[in-house]
Amino acid sequence: MNDGPLIVQSDKTILLEVDHELATEARHAIAPFAELERAPEHMHSYRLTPLGLWNARAAGLDAERVLDTLLKYSRFPVPHSLLVDIEETMSRYGRLRLEKDPQHGLVMRTDDYPVLEEVIRAKKIQPLLGPRIDGETVVVHASQRGQVKQLLLKIGWPAEDLAGYVDGTPHLIALNEDGWQLRPYQRLASENFWSGGSGVVVLPCGAGKTLVGAAAMATGSTTTLILVTNTVAARQWKDELLKRTSLTEDEIGEYSGALKEVRPVTIATYQVLTTKRGGLYPHLELVDGHDWGLIIYDEVHLLPAPIFRMTADLQARRRLGLTATLVREDGREGEVFSLIGPKRYDAPWKDIESQGYIAPADCVEVRVDLPKDERVAYAMADDADKYRLCSTSESKSLVVEQLVARHAGEQLLVIGQYIDQLDDLGERLQAPVIKGDTSVKVRQRLFDAFRAGEIQTLVVSKVANFSIDLPEASVAIQVSGSFGSRQEEAQRLGRLLRPKKDGRAARFYSLVARDTLDQDFAAKRQRFLAEQGYAYRIMDAKDADSAE
Amino acid sequence: MSLIRALSKDLAARSDDSLRELFAARPDLLSPAVPDFPALAARASSRVSVQRALERLNRPQMQVLETLHLCTNTDTGHSASAPALRKMVAGSSVPILERILDRLQELALVHRADPPHGTPSGNRQRFYLPVGCLKDVVGIYPAGLGRSYTELVRLQPAFAQRAVQLVSELHRSGAEIQDATTPMEAALALQHWTSSPEAVQDILAHAPERTTALLARFRNWAMGAVPQAQRKASVATEGADVGPIDWLLARGLLVPLDAAHVELPHSVGLSLRGGAIINDFTLTPPVPKLGTTTAALRRNAALSAISDTLRLVGELLHTVQRQPLATLRSGGVGVRETRRLGELLQISQPQLGLLLELCGLAGLIRLDVDSSSWVQPPQLEWLALPRQEQWQWLVNAWLSSERVPSLVGQPVNGTSGVPAAHRSGAGGAIVPLSAEAQRPDAPVIRKRILEILLELTTEAASGDGAAPVLDAAAVLQRAEWAQPRMARRFSSLIRGVLAEAELLGLVGSGALTQLGAAFAGDNPDEAMTLLGQHLPAALNHVLLQADLTAVAPGYLAPDLAEKLLAMADAEGQGPATIYRFSEASVRRALDAGYDAGRLLQFLRDHSATAVPQPLEYLIQDTAARHGQLRVGTAASFIQGDDEEALQELLSGPRAAALGLVRLAPTVLASSLPPRETVQILRGLGLSPSVDGVEDSAVRLRRGPVPQESPRPVYTAPRLAPAADDVDAQLAVLRQADGAPGRHGAAGHEAEAATQLGLEALQRAIRLKQRISMNVVDSMGNATLETVVPLSVSGGRVRVFDPAKDTERVLSIHRIIDIEAAEELHQ
Repeated sequence: MNDGPLIVQSDKTILLEVDHELATEARHAIAPFAELERAPEHMHSYRLTPLGLWNARAAGLDAERVLDTLLKYSRFPVPHSLLVDIEETMSRYGRLRLEKDPQHGLVMRTDDYPVLEEVIRAKKIQPLLGPRIDGETVVVHASQRGQVKQLLLKIGWPAEDLAGYVDGTPHLIALNEDGWQLRPYQRLASENFWSGGSGVVVLPCGAGKTLVGAAAMATGSTTTLILVTNTVAARQWKDELLKRTSLTEDEIGEYSGALKEVRPVTIATYQVLTTKRGGLYPHLELVDGHDWGLIIYDEVHLLPAPIFRMTADLQARRRLGLTATLVREDGREGEVFSLIGPKRYDAPWKDIESQGYIAPADCVEVRVDLPKDERVAYAMADDADKYRLCSTSESKSLVVEQLVARHAGEQLLVIGQYIDQLDDLGERLQAPVIKGDTSVKVRQRLFDAFRAGEIQTLVVSKVANFSIDLPEASVAIQVSGSFGSRQEEAQRLGRLLRPKKDGRAARFYSLVARDTLDQDFAAKRQRFLAEQGYAYRIMDAKDADSAE
Repeated sequence: MSLIRALSKDLAARSDDSLRELFAARPDLLSPAVPDFPALAARASSRVSVQRALERLNRPQMQVLETLHLCTNTDTGHSASAPALRKMVAGSSVPILERILDRLQELALVHRADPPHGTPSGNRQRFYLPVGCLKDVVGIYPAGLGRSYTELVRLQPAFAQRAVQLVSELHRSGAEIQDATTPMEAALALQHWTSSPEAVQDILAHAPERTTALLARFRNWAMGAVPQAQRKASVATEGADVGPIDWLLARGLLVPLDAAHVELPHSVGLSLRGGAIINDFTLTPPVPKLGTTTAALRRNAALSAISDTLRLVGELLHTVQRQPLATLRSGGVGVRETRRLGELLQISQPQLGLLLELCGLAGLIRLDVDSSSWVQPPQLEWLALPRQEQWQWLVNAWLSSERVPSLVGQPVNGTSGVPAAHRSGAGGAIVPLSAEAQRPDAPVIRKRILEILLELTTEAASGDGAAPVLDAAAVLQRAEWAQPRMARRFSSLIRGVLAEAELLGLVGSGALTQLGAAFAGDNPDEAMTLLGQHLPAALNHVLLQADLTAVAPGYLAPDLAEKLLAMADAEGQGPATIYRFSEASVRRALDAGYDAGRLLQFLRDHSATAVPQPLEYLIQDTAARHGQLRVGTAASFIQGDDEEALQELLSGPRAAALGLVRLAPTVLASSLPPRETVQILRGLGLSPSVDGVEDSAVRLRRGPVPQESPRPVYTAPRLAPAADDVDAQLAVLRQADGAPGRHGAAGHEAEAATQLGLEALQRAIRLKQRISMNVVDSMGNATLETVVPLSVSGGRVRVFDPAKDTERVLSIHRIIDIEAAEELHQ
């Protein structure tokens, strides 16, 4: 056999040997159709999924190219059943097309009559369809475009949406590129999105997803609705847009719990849209009562279920999803695919790091021994209390103090889950604490001060997980996390990855109580981080002082 | 003259080469060897031998033979010549027929015969008769044609009753048919009415639509199933909207046999075929339309299948070694076990069934009768072989095995076509490793299928390495042409055999692979060379990573893999294996006697990269805390408050037999059970008390008896006899022929005599002749009886005794000899 860098497994994973001379070439060849699953130092593993293959089809790749690529770069024979499966799966995408018919409006068309027959007979789809026009065409109720796509994906016949989009109310937006420039990958992502229509752009934390959104808005020059996770993130978006585009304060509205402004560009939080009163969503009107030309979903992997339902009704509008990962803890990747759209751009994190756009990170797990009395208390505690007990150990606070002392002079975040512990740490370190009940105003002030370097240490709860731009934080100490969430770990680490002025590596400490639940969860996070390819070390608390 | 005697003379007159040819084509003739030509002739004429000979004929040969059978009468000696047959075989020519008849004569399936009466003398044509028992072997529908009206009237009383009325109704309705008063007259009238293709065309001109389509179903076989075959259908009462079946029944064009079946009479069938018995005669086999696949895809599929199968077999053996497979009471491995295995190996149930069967037939797992579970034989040689030899082992075992793995999951009663999902009730599915998946003719069929695949592949070969994609239908089509009488046995197995061949890399991407071609052409060495070039060598290193995994980028040397399995858990299905380290797996290694230093050294020795810090930390951290609790063996303990007394006991030589170990200042452990410990302590002048403990029972268990699992050797199923045997046989025959007075052993002579007797008996049955025979009664007294034989089957003959006017059944072995009592009594 040839000596390629890939090993294709029967369980639909592909291993890529990173040190192989053809590795880069092979990586680029398989990236369009395989999802990177793990990226430890020597062997990256990719997974072939129906969604990934359909993404590739949506991007114009055909099965033959995929098979050729696998056979070309594979070191060993490729399981034949896998090849057959790929061909079969890929041929399913696009057999059904949603199109605009001048006479009948939205129709579903196919060249493959039996597929249409099968689909029409599906119980759930039947009520969404109108009269049959001929053997290959059936009318789809325009209001059910999203629903139909969602259900078709579920039964394994994903439809290609060629029905086009409404333009929305035009509104001139231009990028304001003085003193900075769109990075090449950001430009590419925005172009890919616009030519594809709707879809998701996947970029690692810190890679500047906001700017991809801004670029897409500038291309469209249309009224835009931006959906974000929380109010702070909304402010962040607003600031960034003011700085990077021709938009002015008056043109950007905030639609949140506190403010209800509707402007040509409106930034709304997920929370306000999903607020339910008397069984109704009172703020839904914002979404469908206006003629938006573009809807941007920030952090798509966190999109709550009601937003999915609303999105199903918005299929005629362009939708851009931004995220660092397509992995959803709830496994609803299929809905992202069918309702927001296929993946339009995906940049390997390593590539972006090597280009210097994000800082390298160094993860250190510090194992802390619980003192005897705490161990006894832990052993005798109820299961429900155990995690809290080991997470908030007194001995952790001591280690935090040591670490803070060692990194004196650097911008440092202490991140935790339990408020008591954070308050305690705040007192010990003489540092302000940001938690859920801190008002937006105070938060904003503290963040600004931190950014300006007036405050060097900040203690934050999980409110800081998402979308807060803290450019100069170079050290983070995680004292407790919410169990083993991979999501949270990635986001927290993401806080550190904005490139540093002096090109230093970011340092991410995670304090773990030995022989407790904390350690079990830490093992999960460790695996995740190592699989993402971050350098990872483990040390004992007693060495925390000395070792570098 | 008896046909057997005639054949004997014919054989004796043949050259040695001609006889060799005969033996090569009909190897059963000389196993066991025969003493002389009459015995050889008798065996060649026996039903079983003729049956086997017919299985080797191809379609044109079979068609000519059947036509000859239909055009002749062995009882009256009415023979036929090639020119006479030519009219009945459309598309043939006299030379072709002569050639085929010649070949059939060589095979002793037809004889040269005198021309029928009335043939002008001086006719130089050669006339033939088929072998006597052909009628019994080809069945009642030779060439797929039905019986004649006269025969149907004779054998179907219901039709006989109806025939007269049917004919008169037809006559009255204006059809050009003679009126009849007796069933036989009616039959003859119908026969005459349908005797020519034009006549039948005229009759069918007024048939309702779809009649032609319906009749097409009877094109190849005269009998068919219709609902309510005995329904009332009459020309007199039928309306304008009559259905095709009613229409045909009313005219006697279809004859009801029973409630669900009808037959197309001979004359109708013949006329529908345009007056010829055979209307699809061709000497060239049909060439199926086949897609193609590229050489690269084919090789890729074969090699991936081979490495995957070997990997799965290895994993299966590993699993079985740890936990033997329990069997069901009815034999085979039940669904609970197969589910467990399927989950472990991550393969589907049908795949697992194939795999288990493959391991079973290759002797890699063996039924342990004591525990009635499937175990891995000790010292299994297979495990240590290089991969190509492992593969050869499997392929050899598969080719020569009588087990058919793909039958697993099929319904037990064997009616193919019924979906395997049907499982409950008496007709459940065949479970793996059970007795039901056995087919004695499997090796022959496998070999034949491989040969057909090779044949089709060679025919379709093109220069660029592309190979035809062969499916079951193509193979079956070719098998039906090459061996029509065998094809039915093929049809149910082809699909399965192809799937099994795919598993072993003999078929890949739907096409016969180079490896498969080598085996089909009896060149296994070539296959081994090919495979040796393409299977990558075993690796001796892994890649260690910070996510606590070791990745083996390819096939890992078995001993290294085994050691890694002791310290990490394997993940992933495919050429590469990922070994994941965890606290539990490292602890397992520590338990097995490793320490941190040795573990790390082992990893450093076999890693292509440095040992990452988290892994090193994991091993050291786990090792540091390993052994905080210790477990040891003790049969009893001694507890006392007096520390000094215990110390004395421990250090003194007197209690050495107890094998004492100090666990705590006041506790000792003894290696002897409580009762003996107490006895020794008492002997030392102490007075111990015993806690309520029972002796631990010691059970003796019989160790497994080591048994070897021999490497399977494949020899292709013997289709032709060995040359030595043929030579020896020829020598015997020529010698016997040269000395006509001297016969071989009496037992051998008897074979010919029995066949001759049976021939006479069967002739008498057909001609309703009276015969005289000497019969031995139970006391050993012989009596001469004159009877009319009625039928013979199962070693018994049913006779009518005219003297007593009763029917009796006689055992054939009690009949000493038979002779015809009178000539043609009709």
